[in-house]
Amino acid sequence: MPEPQSDVVSRVDAMYQDYAGRAKELAGQGARFIGYVCSFVPLEMIAASGCFPFRIRGDVHEPITKGDTLLETIVCPFYRSCFDLMLKGKYDFASGVVIPHACDSMVRSYDVWNYALNLPYTHFVNVPSVCGDSALRFFEAELISFKQSLEKYTGVSITDEKLAHSIRAYNLNRKKARDIYALRKTHPPAILGSDLVKVLSVGASLPVEESNELFDQVLQACSGANKTDAQSGPRILIDGPCLDNMDLIKLIEDCGAQVVGDTTCNGARDHFPLTDEIRPPVQALADRYLNKLNCPKTYRDNQAGTFEKDADNRFGDIESYAKDYSADGVILYVYKYCDPFGFEVPARKTYLESKNIPVLYLEDLYSSGATGQLKTRIQAFLEMIG
Amino acid sequence: MSDEQKANKPKKRMTATKAAASIGPMVKEFIAGTLKAREERSHKLAYTFIVCHHEEILRALDVLPIWTENFAGICGAKRDAERFLQRAESLGFSRSLCTYALCGLGFDQWREELGEMPPEAPWGGQARPDMMISSGQILCDPRAKWYQAAQQYMPDVPIYNIDLPHPLYDPKNDHKEQWAYYHKYIVEQLRGLVSFLEEQTGKKMDYDRLSELVELTEKTWNLIHETYELRKAVPTPMGTGDAMNTMVPMCFNMGTQVAYDFFVNLKKELEEKIQKGEGEVAEEKYRLMWGGGLPAWFALKDFNYFNSKGASFPVETTYRMVAPLYEMDIPDAKDPIERIAWRWLGYWNFWFDRARKRPGSHPDVERLINHIENYKIDGIVMHEAFSCRTWHVGLIWQLNQLAKIYKPIPVLSLGQNGKQQTKHCELPSLILESDIIDITSYSEADTRNKIDAFIETLESLRQNRADSK
Amino acid sequence: MQPSIYAGIDIGSTMTKAIILHDEIVAQVIGPTGAEHRSLAFQVMETALEQAGVDIQSISYIVSTGYGRINVPFADKQITEISCHARGIAHLFPTAKSIVDIGGQDSKAISINSAGRPVDFVMNDKCAAGSGRFVEIIADTLGIDLSEVGATSLRSDRPARISNICTIWAQQEVAAQIAAGESVENILAGVHDALAGKIARMAKRLRLEGPVVLTGGGGKNPGLIAALSRHLGYEVLVPKEPLITGALGAALLGRELYEKAIKNNTPIATQPRLLDRVKLY
Repeated sequence: MPEPQSDVVSRVDAMYQDYAGRAKELAGQGARFIGYVCSFVPLEMIAASGCFPFRIRGDVHEPITKGDTLLETIVCPFYRSCFDLMLKGKYDFASGVVIPHACDSMVRSYDVWNYALNLPYTHFVNVPSVCGDSALRFFEAELISFKQSLEKYTGVSITDEKLAHSIRAYNLNRKKARDIYALRKTHPPAILGSDLVKVLSVGASLPVEESNELFDQVLQACSGANKTDAQSGPRILIDGPCLDNMDLIKLIEDCGAQVVGDTTCNGARDHFPLTDEIRPPVQALADRYLNKLNCPKTYRDNQAGTFEKDADNRFGDIESYAKDYSADGVILYVYKYCDPFGFEVPARKTYLESKNIPVLYLEDLYSSGATGQLKTRIQAFLEMIG
Repeated sequence: MSDEQKANKPKKRMTATKAAASIGPMVKEFIAGTLKAREERSHKLAYTFIVCHHEEILRALDVLPIWTENFAGICGAKRDAERFLQRAESLGFSRSLCTYALCGLGFDQWREELGEMPPEAPWGGQARPDMMISSGQILCDPRAKWYQAAQQYMPDVPIYNIDLPHPLYDPKNDHKEQWAYYHKYIVEQLRGLVSFLEEQTGKKMDYDRLSELVELTEKTWNLIHETYELRKAVPTPMGTGDAMNTMVPMCFNMGTQVAYDFFVNLKKELEEKIQKGEGEVAEEKYRLMWGGGLPAWFALKDFNYFNSKGASFPVETTYRMVAPLYEMDIPDAKDPIERIAWRWLGYWNFWFDRARKRPGSHPDVERLINHIENYKIDGIVMHEAFSCRTWHVGLIWQLNQLAKIYKPIPVLSLGQNGKQQTKHCELPSLILESDIIDITSYSEADTRNKIDAFIETLESLRQNRADSK
Repeated sequence: MQPSIYAGIDIGSTMTKAIILHDEIVAQVIGPTGAEHRSLAFQVMETALEQAGVDIQSISYIVSTGYGRINVPFADKQITEISCHARGIAHLFPTAKSIVDIGGQDSKAISINSAGRPVDFVMNDKCAAGSGRFVEIIADTLGIDLSEVGATSLRSDRPARISNICTIWAQQEVAAQIAAGESVENILAGVHDALAGKIARMAKRLRLEGPVVLTGGGGKNPGLIAALSRHLGYEVLVPKEPLITGALGAALLGRELYEKAIKNNTPIATQPRLLDRVKLY
């Protein structure tokens, strides 16, 4: 007899509110947790070393104070919030952090994190900015450096066997996440968008096996009858970088709409691509993180020579998800000072509108006060497409 | 130009050296050259970025680079960037993004829409390119995104994106252990550029010519280093204000005789000045370091304001885009492409080994300490440009870390027992805030107020030090 | 059958506007929102009801809009001012394609289709520099009555250059220009130019088409209208009463919703209406 949906949801909610509570508990028993902020960090490698990766979350309700004494305010506000929480000891159970070459905010403040937090383990993964054979070979070598640095820190030898095991565990996790996404294909969706983000967030704070268990419970509880009291408002897909706070999604739901899909970093961008289980593990990881993560940071050659075809290659996934989840409109949600996404706003908007998908572009500051101000825009957009 | 524009046209800034004064016409000529090449189709034109170590490759294949950051800087210096920034904003780009890129995108979209240069385009405008060479190196996101965004307005112009990474500093690890695969990758990326350019120009790379250009560049690098080191003299013969001009041959003309000759002349001029005891400032009272940040191109006169208070800038970390090759611990390679790749790594990791020797240090901090000592620095000035994360994140932390590990200034104070004692305090620093070209972020009154207060601090420290002697 | 009565109330940050519609407009009232807790907004409604001589219980449908539209105890539905302006303007100017609204605290631009529905919009509500508040602050700095600002600026012979659109800095700049002997006319013209430029840039993010209609408090300022028209490159039309279009649209949308409900035979349950204070948003 599966647990009722409301029970699972409230359990997830409690874990979401007490974020990383379980991690803290395990750390107290000697487990080592390595924090990460961005989808470019190969979690499989961390897990294979016997450590547990957990996604560092920001907090839109916590004013950034301590962080601003060391980090310029022109840094991405989401990333500043994460750093502020780290400095304030919110994640003091963490043994380390891994920062990838994702954006200038991360690269340029790597030293600040490294020196100011002074954690036992800090590592930078240099992800190439372009694709292609030479980039893939370089990235493989860089992942071997990462592996060696983890081995040095943990004293554990990371064998191909261990890597293959953790690749399978994460692939399973991502497949389950995709199944949870599929719950929203129904009208009304069988799980609220806000609940899904909570489930994924909590999942990213747990050892992958526990995350898999949690996802199973969610799937069992939500499959079957439609159990959300969701109204049948417009269906929205959110496109943008990491959206780990509930305020925006709640705001959209409060306006009478449903968030049915996303292409965000802690959502589909991260959870949908799988790692090849047949190729040699390091090579397979290099391939997944370089070639399959569709982040604006990675440049992919415009082979077609036209804007339209190139846009199809770059943004086609947004359109296909919008179709899969029958979205009525897309909210393109970008943080101020985000160069990778910011420079794509006109192209993304033009592309989606050419596919007859209405788009609302919102620039936000990662603070609950500022998000609240977006209400009129969201409501007007829903009136427009509704 | 309307009367209003004329009235607002900034007057020419005074430079200390004749060499720096010759830069304006040099840039103008350069831009005119690209426009002429466009018209006559004499050369292929490539939009590209400075500090990618690819100049020799471009020049060996007779491709003329158009430095798009430079054109945006010119618009900024002429205080005529606003209309292009506004156009980019209307296209949907956030004003919080790199304003060089916004200015360029606004300009390009306008030019493409008109099919000709936008009205009253600064110095005749920026020519339409035949290709765009991005650089998604570990340096700057806009460099990877700008041309991709520009392709929406000129889809027929192809892009080649060279990835040029280098290891980041880690106090616990030796970066050289990673150099082999970095070097291999950079070489492959540069060879990719060669094939792309060969395809675009229909020419074959002449590797002997390339080798000559690489040698010329290396010679110029060492010459620039030696020339700039002359600024250690007291009083310093040349300040950062001038260096913001002399960065032009260093960053835009590398791999040409023009750049080499320029620095031969500058070196001669500085030697003469030193011999005559001629300083940038008639009476040098404070020696400051420009310790980080790109300048506000529309407010270079603030350097003259510093000068008017007796402050000179013998050294800056910005646009010192060279390091002496003979001090780099890099392998000697015959192949010119391999040489360039080693130079790239040697330059970006130049301060790593030195930093590792001082507990708590870091390459950027170590470089500050090196300059403080070698150039006898009394204070540090930095600029935080809101739109650029590349050069302006980490500056506060660098000052913090510097204060933690390095306290060079003796200050006289009263101890607990009422006796005079000497304490050592960190160097005073000033962070100015505005932007590279967005003038709406700048307030002259505010900036000058800050400078005045900073000079007062320097003066009281000077008094203190005099008392303690 | 007696035609039904509809009401629209637009609660802005400074002014509240109410309309009673009974075949045609039977009451139109504008009054202050009340600085604290929007305490005066319901009085505007009361006055409108008095003017129209109708009891609130006899109104078929009430729509609230504007910044304070939420928690209006006597409204049946709340709709954003984007949709309401679009509807109101389409009624007054059937050929209008675009709307610019310059309010006390924000500004917005809306593209509308022939049915009076918004098809795209942009909005600035994060800084005073893009709203009517900018002009207010400058008028204050200059010691000039707000109602004279527009006419005064039109007497300028050479608009001053206000390079800083940030309100605080523009204030400093204005102070410096006064000190330098610049005329008030030229300064005001410069201020309008800067504000119109900022709003036009925002509006151009839409595929802007004319005719453009200007609504909100900005529509009462002839200096701003002229500057906006110049920056947009379109003639700018202004309703006779530019403040009322949101409330008018709200009442019209109310009528549509009510009639649709009747037609679909899904009558709206009417409860006794509570003409009470608007609660804090």
